Amino acid sequence: MSRRFGPLRALVDASGEVAAGGVLSVRGPNGCGKSTLLRCLAGLLRPDRGTIAAREGGRELASDERRSRVGYVAPDVAFYDELSGRENLRLYSRLRGLPPGRGEILLERLGLAGERPFHAMSSGMRQRLRWAFALLHAPDILLLDEPFQNFDAAGERAARELLAERLAAGALAVVASPSDVALPRVTGELLLGG
Amino acid sequence: MSSSWAAEAAAVFVKDWRCELRTRHAVATLALFALTTLLVASLVLGPIGNDAEMSRRVVPVLVWLIVLFAAAAGLPRAFVHEEESRTAIALRLAARPSAVFAGKLVHIATLVAAIEAIVAPLAVALFDLRVAAAAELVAALAAGGLAIAAATTLLAAIVAQGRGASTLFAVLALPVLLPALALAVAATRVALTGVAEGNLLTLLLLYDGSVVVAGFLLFPAIWNP
Amino acid sequence: MKRLLALSLWLWMAVVIWAAFHWAPLAAGFKGQSSRILFFHVPVAWVSFVAFMTAGVESVRYLAGRRDPRHDRSAAAAVELGQVFAVLATVTGAIWARIMWGSYWNWDPRQSAIVVTMLYYAAYLALRQAIADGPSRARLSAAYAVLGLVVSPFLYFVLPRLGFSLHPEPVINAAGKLEVESRMLAVLTASSLGFTVLFYWLHALRRRLGAVAAHRDEGVE
Repeated sequence: MSRRFGPLRALVDASGEVAAGGVLSVRGPNGCGKSTLLRCLAGLLRPDRGTIAAREGGRELASDERRSRVGYVAPDVAFYDELSGRENLRLYSRLRGLPPGRGEILLERLGLAGERPFHAMSSGMRQRLRWAFALLHAPDILLLDEPFQNFDAAGERAARELLAERLAAGALAVVASPSDVALPRVTGELLLGG
Repeated sequence: MSSSWAAEAAAVFVKDWRCELRTRHAVATLALFALTTLLVASLVLGPIGNDAEMSRRVVPVLVWLIVLFAAAAGLPRAFVHEEESRTAIALRLAARPSAVFAGKLVHIATLVAAIEAIVAPLAVALFDLRVAAAAELVAALAAGGLAIAAATTLLAAIVAQGRGASTLFAVLALPVLLPALALAVAATRVALTGVAEGNLLTLLLLYDGSVVVAGFLLFPAIWNP
Repeated sequence: MKRLLALSLWLWMAVVIWAAFHWAPLAAGFKGQSSRILFFHVPVAWVSFVAFMTAGVESVRYLAGRRDPRHDRSAAAAVELGQVFAVLATVTGAIWARIMWGSYWNWDPRQSAIVVTMLYYAAYLALRQAIADGPSRARLSAAYAVLGLVVSPFLYFVLPRLGFSLHPEPVINAAGKLEVESRMLAVLTASSLGFTVLFYWLHALRRRLGAVAAHRDEGVE
């Protein structure tokens, strides 16, 4: 896959694959295109060249379907300032056709009190909310861009537990993170840039 | 993923109004622009409703220019804010484009109705207007308001992804809204004078329908990459 | 081959210009030689609408197809050229209106239509200026162009008829209903054909220029 922004070649011929239960680890220096890659995989950006194929039981998912089925955690994901964590999650549950209980469970698992409005949350709390949002619909495709950023020990532990559970249930993950972050079940590595 | 489309659209609509009621940002902007322009016009023109000719020629276009001006100032935020604060990302992932379009369209339409609810009664009072056909006036306001809402929903979504959103919105909106505004102005004139001028409302509703249908077809391409 | 076509077009237009002034008769009811402007004004206005439609069609093809940048470049080229032709149409029309009725502008239905077209072109080009990313620029301006297509029946048929009722008899309409004498018709048709070919030639050139620029800025497309 390739993607450029005008003269800037953000992603050049990146290629990889990952199967259910596995993790594709994406590494590289700043500005090498990790975020661009994940955005393309999430359906938030269209690559200039190349294809993305998500296959389930021999059938390939259309990009719209893929977009609605991914669990995406990234630093720039933001929620509504005026709504509390709980209200934000209820909204996304309603949009996805899920019962509101799902949000409650995740808030508890991640140790996040749901009453504070998003604008008043610390960066660590926001990161927990990002994870809650990403996992609401028990996604089979996890796209994680610097997912443990801003976490304290407790937050990271909770997130890693949830990640392990999803992987054990058959989800796959593409994770972009600095090289010193350990990842579970790594089945492949994609080195970008340099 | 088994939510009904209508439930999704309703969720978007409710969210927009919930946030709006907590900040009152859009309503305040709309009210401010509408009132300021209306008061300036009233100051300069006085109770022109007394003059039948002025009433016929000036008032309808004045009213609609005020509504348009307020709309251009306060409505694009519905999408610009989502993009700027990055909440659009989660919305793109969690909701169907058609539901986002429908929810936003109804939200923007209610905001337009709010502008008109401020402008129309005040205009009647300040200019001492004589309304020959009140039902016609309401119909003109509704049909014209829907045109503004539909076009705004599409155009705001477009400009939110570019630079200089507010000025760009006005530039894009004028050619698109010109026919609707002309029809709405004429329909308003009919309502004030009582003199029929052909099937204006039908044409206006046809315009509304066309833009809404086009909106449903185009919005996915505008909203998603 | 291209040179031959270009030369043919040049000759064709030269003959048309000559014929407009020396072969075609004057139209009755027009002051002096002023009816000659018709042979240039009408084709040029026609071409600006052709350009508008071309931009719309190319935009649909861009959005509905594989997002091929060539359709985007084609649409943008059509709009740029359309704007040029629209300006020419407006100016020639205004000159003629001045000669015939003493004022440059009357909000005649055709005049309204051309103004609205120019507004649309300007807005489209302004939108493109505001978006830095190529694919986004293409996608969003295409959406705007398609919206323009949807709204165009209202722009060209409804809007002009709504103007204030004091304006004079649709002037250029009268020219359309004119008893067009066969020579005049011949020159008019020949001129329209020439200008249309000119448009498509310029369009092809502009598209190629766009492709070269894209190649330079962003790599092979």
